[in-house]
Amino acid sequence: MNTTSPLQSTEHKSIGLSQQKFLIKAFTTFILGVGAIIILIPLVYMIGTSLKNKAQIRQDTLNPIPVTHIQVEVNGKQEPLYMVTIDGQTREMAHIKNAPGGIGLFVDPANPDDVYELIIAEQTPVKEVDVHWENYQEALTIAPFDKYLVNTLLVTFIGMAGMLFSCSLVAYGFARFRAPYINVLFLILLSTIMLPRQVTLIPLYIVFQKIGWIDTLLPLIIPQFFANAFDVFLLRQFFMTIPLDQDEAAKIDGATAFQRLIYVILPQSRPALVTVGIFHFLYAWNDFYEPLIFLHSRQNWTLAVGLQQFNGLYAINTHLIMAASVVMIVPPILLFFFSQKIFMQGVVVSGSKG
Amino acid sequence: MLRFDIKNWSMEKRESAAAYMFISPWIIGFLFLTLMPMATSLYLSFTDYNILDAPVWVGFKNFEDLFQDPQFWGSLKVTFSFAVMSLPASLILGLSLAVLLNQDIPFVKLWRTLYFLPSVLSGVAVTLLWVLLFNPQVGAINAVLAIFGIKGPGWLHDPNWALPSLVIMSLWGVGQTMIIYLAGLQGIPTDLYDAAKVDGAGMWRRFRSITIPMMSPVIFYNLVLGIISTFQYFTQAFVASQSVGSQEVGGPVRSTLFYNLYLYQSGFRFFEMGYASAMAWILFIFVLILTILIFKSSPMWVHYEGELRGRS
Amino acid sequence: MFKKKHVLLVILIIATLAVSSLTFAQEPVTVTIFVGLGTGTSPEQIPPQEALQERFNSTHDDIQIEFLIVPNESAHDQLTTMIAGDNAPDLVGPNGVSTIAKFLDNWADITPFIEADQFDTSDFYPLALELNAYPDLNTGLPLGLFPSYIYYNVDLFDASGVDYPPSDFDDTSWTYDAVRERAMLLTLDSNGNNASSPDFNADDIVQWGYDDSWASTRELLAPWGFEGVGRPTNEDYTVAMANNEAWVQGLQWYSDGIHVDHFIPGVDGQAAMASAGIGTPLDGGLVGMFHSHTWYLTELGFDGLLFEVQIAPVPFNPAGGRVAPIHADNFTIPENSKHKEEAWEVMKWLTAPEQIVDVCLIYGCIPSRQSVSDEFRAALEENFPGLDYDVIFESINYLDAPNHESWVPQWGRAEDTINFAGNLIVTGENTDAQAVLDEANETIQGLLDEYWANQ
Repeated sequence: MNTTSPLQSTEHKSIGLSQQKFLIKAFTTFILGVGAIIILIPLVYMIGTSLKNKAQIRQDTLNPIPVTHIQVEVNGKQEPLYMVTIDGQTREMAHIKNAPGGIGLFVDPANPDDVYELIIAEQTPVKEVDVHWENYQEALTIAPFDKYLVNTLLVTFIGMAGMLFSCSLVAYGFARFRAPYINVLFLILLSTIMLPRQVTLIPLYIVFQKIGWIDTLLPLIIPQFFANAFDVFLLRQFFMTIPLDQDEAAKIDGATAFQRLIYVILPQSRPALVTVGIFHFLYAWNDFYEPLIFLHSRQNWTLAVGLQQFNGLYAINTHLIMAASVVMIVPPILLFFFSQKIFMQGVVVSGSKG
Repeated sequence: MLRFDIKNWSMEKRESAAAYMFISPWIIGFLFLTLMPMATSLYLSFTDYNILDAPVWVGFKNFEDLFQDPQFWGSLKVTFSFAVMSLPASLILGLSLAVLLNQDIPFVKLWRTLYFLPSVLSGVAVTLLWVLLFNPQVGAINAVLAIFGIKGPGWLHDPNWALPSLVIMSLWGVGQTMIIYLAGLQGIPTDLYDAAKVDGAGMWRRFRSITIPMMSPVIFYNLVLGIISTFQYFTQAFVASQSVGSQEVGGPVRSTLFYNLYLYQSGFRFFEMGYASAMAWILFIFVLILTILIFKSSPMWVHYEGELRGRS
Repeated sequence: MFKKKHVLLVILIIATLAVSSLTFAQEPVTVTIFVGLGTGTSPEQIPPQEALQERFNSTHDDIQIEFLIVPNESAHDQLTTMIAGDNAPDLVGPNGVSTIAKFLDNWADITPFIEADQFDTSDFYPLALELNAYPDLNTGLPLGLFPSYIYYNVDLFDASGVDYPPSDFDDTSWTYDAVRERAMLLTLDSNGNNASSPDFNADDIVQWGYDDSWASTRELLAPWGFEGVGRPTNEDYTVAMANNEAWVQGLQWYSDGIHVDHFIPGVDGQAAMASAGIGTPLDGGLVGMFHSHTWYLTELGFDGLLFEVQIAPVPFNPAGGRVAPIHADNFTIPENSKHKEEAWEVMKWLTAPEQIVDVCLIYGCIPSRQSVSDEFRAALEENFPGLDYDVIFESINYLDAPNHESWVPQWGRAEDTINFAGNLIVTGENTDAQAVLDEANETIQGLLDEYWANQ
């Protein structure tokens, strides 16, 4: 497997090419592994929190696995159970009351009149794994999530189609043509995202209200057909990395501008198109601020808006938000995972020297 | 369609016409959906507008008041600190991860999905999750630090650590930036690398002379958009400051009062829409100038394989 | 003479008139009720509100109500946008005093409606009527009240051998000094030393004596005896008085409680409380006394408490008075509503003796009608057994008027300024109450001057 090259022709070279490749791969995997742990810890917590009830979240925040402190009945009340050590012997006792200085009063549930005073911190609580799968059911049924899903899919996919169509056209215009003031127009395009959304919200709301689009999905879909700065910018950058010679060849063959877009540019832009597609999907999937303002009735809500309702003034239902969020992650992740094939195929081998 | 005699048009004219035609979807949308709200907000920035009553013209008063408002300068400082901390970090981290994930290692698809995962979560869920993690008493972060014998700070509760907490949180979601870099890396023709290897270039040399220049359009993109979005950072700061129970927007003691947060507070909490609009336009001009500067500098470092010469 | 076609024409005209009058007469007006600024948005609260809607709609022909319940996070922005877009709802609520003050310019005055109907308001608690009535503007009929008092952990008191707070409202020994004394005995470090002991280790506190961390700064200071009670200005809102003697004293008491005597949890302590039990100050068993309102009963996780809880009146202030800050909810009618008359009818219905108990049970408030207090008391006994209910009802009589959430010019900025001052104290960035309130007062005076200059 040793391919000789001018660099490695001498036998004194210590590392062979294949070994070098292996080392690089090993090193890469190692770094990625460390990073993955950092990435995973919050995710594990997210899933763990989604399976806890409110009491567990607070009582045992540190443990990602949902556990409950086992309770036993003593004198008609439920008291928490501990493993305590008395005279070298370990027994299970219930903690019935607190005393100053971190002392607790413990009794044997079978013998509740015998009270022992022990330091709470030195005893081990008896816990059991207590997973609350019903959080998922509750989160998804307490509100009409099926309707939200339909709304979200409509907004996302129709919007994506509109975006891909319009942004490809516009980006092509910016990337492949000369025209007076085209750079100025591009700057204006970019400038549309420089103004914070909060100050255009009310004027925009009034516009939509005058044309009767409030409380419908239209304000979320129709604007996508008119391109947006993020995706046009990205596509334009990509289009400009594609060498001009194929365009020239096609022009000579008599292709129109539109045909050059379809047959020359787009096939070579698959990674970029997949990227903007995924990004748009994510954006539409998670966007809640403007939908919240433009949609009123609950049956028109999207998933992201529905998620917000768990955040009440006096009741932050963290476990439900986490459960709903876990479910909401699944489609984008599946989409990303399976679209990687197209990503990979985007390796361009251009026919000319650089 | 057009009825004039296109055949008699010059090459340049035809090219310009084609350009405008392709760009037209955006122009139409811009005129009807974007220009009007933008122009309205510009107008409002010169008025006193409390939403209920009609706007009252006050000229430059909002801008004068802003420059004398300590919270304006404070929020600028918070935003700049955040930008300085998070922008370079996310650019470098994103690029490094993309390079690593571009290798042909086993389960690479899985690795990529894993790193991408955090950026897919909704901003609110992420923030609430990290509020739990950052809890000084029972959060995982301080627990991990305690293993190494370090007593962790109060994070979101501590005025000195609240901002760094948000930076860490934003870096966790670097997946989106990384994906763009990955797409860029995938688009570099492999024969360039082959040729360089034949010429005897080492790994670092190849990275410096091929990867970076070929990636420069994408780096450019991430830089410009990074600046634009960092200065509009809002949701996470808002949710975080509400969740720590200090009843303060941008707390504790305004240590996370981002520019956009103060803008929102002025407009929607204090009902000073004119003031908020003035803030928005100051930000706009600042970011615009910065972007123009970056654009002007781009011929020096951004390399497009398919760039047209002689653009106007 | 009478030709056939004339007769037909007359019949046609009469028929048209009849049909059109019927149609117009029968078309019911829909009153949109916007819920979201306060409570009412939790998923469990939606079915009972829908049931209420059904109840009204099935008994009224000319008016129909429709609840528009939006997530709390965006309710504010949504209402603002709707009002700006000339799409205002007809009734908004339940609103606390702060919400009403925040949007004050937006509300319709119900005084003309009361006068036109000669509506009898005598059943409402008189002080409750005052809470939302400003000089030129009565914003709505009172719906519910949330009086405040001290919740305390009986077990902790027992364990440390400290006397309980007195339940007798006339016991004048219960002052803030007494609170401090007992709180220090209840504050323990990990070795069991209390805060009065010389061996006390302030870096290792496991239990605190007193907390009021859920109160805004104005609420914190309202009980201390200023003549303006919870209002940081003079009566006609022209002079800022946030640095008055009583408030400075109160804030310094709180500051010393955190940073000098350590019986009140600071920022670290608050994080500890937030992560123990289910996350409210009292239920983790880390605090002896906690000042809060009736709505806290639903938050406390009453059923799962590991200790006995009881309530006692707010202490007397150094001036010899007693003020128990109150929260109050009512529904309001936006000035821009297109159906104000009908909204008034709905408002009357919601606060009528027949409905008010059910409405208050949804939102967790004490009904503001005196005649139903026994009925509600029975509901309280059922849901929260064992408490000293007299404290709840008696505390209403000590409510703060002017309220700590009441309107001042530039309300939003004024609140922000005062809360900022309070947070400086709590985080320890500045522990000098006089300095902090002086600075806040200067800012507020600027806000007042600006406001009056623009009038």
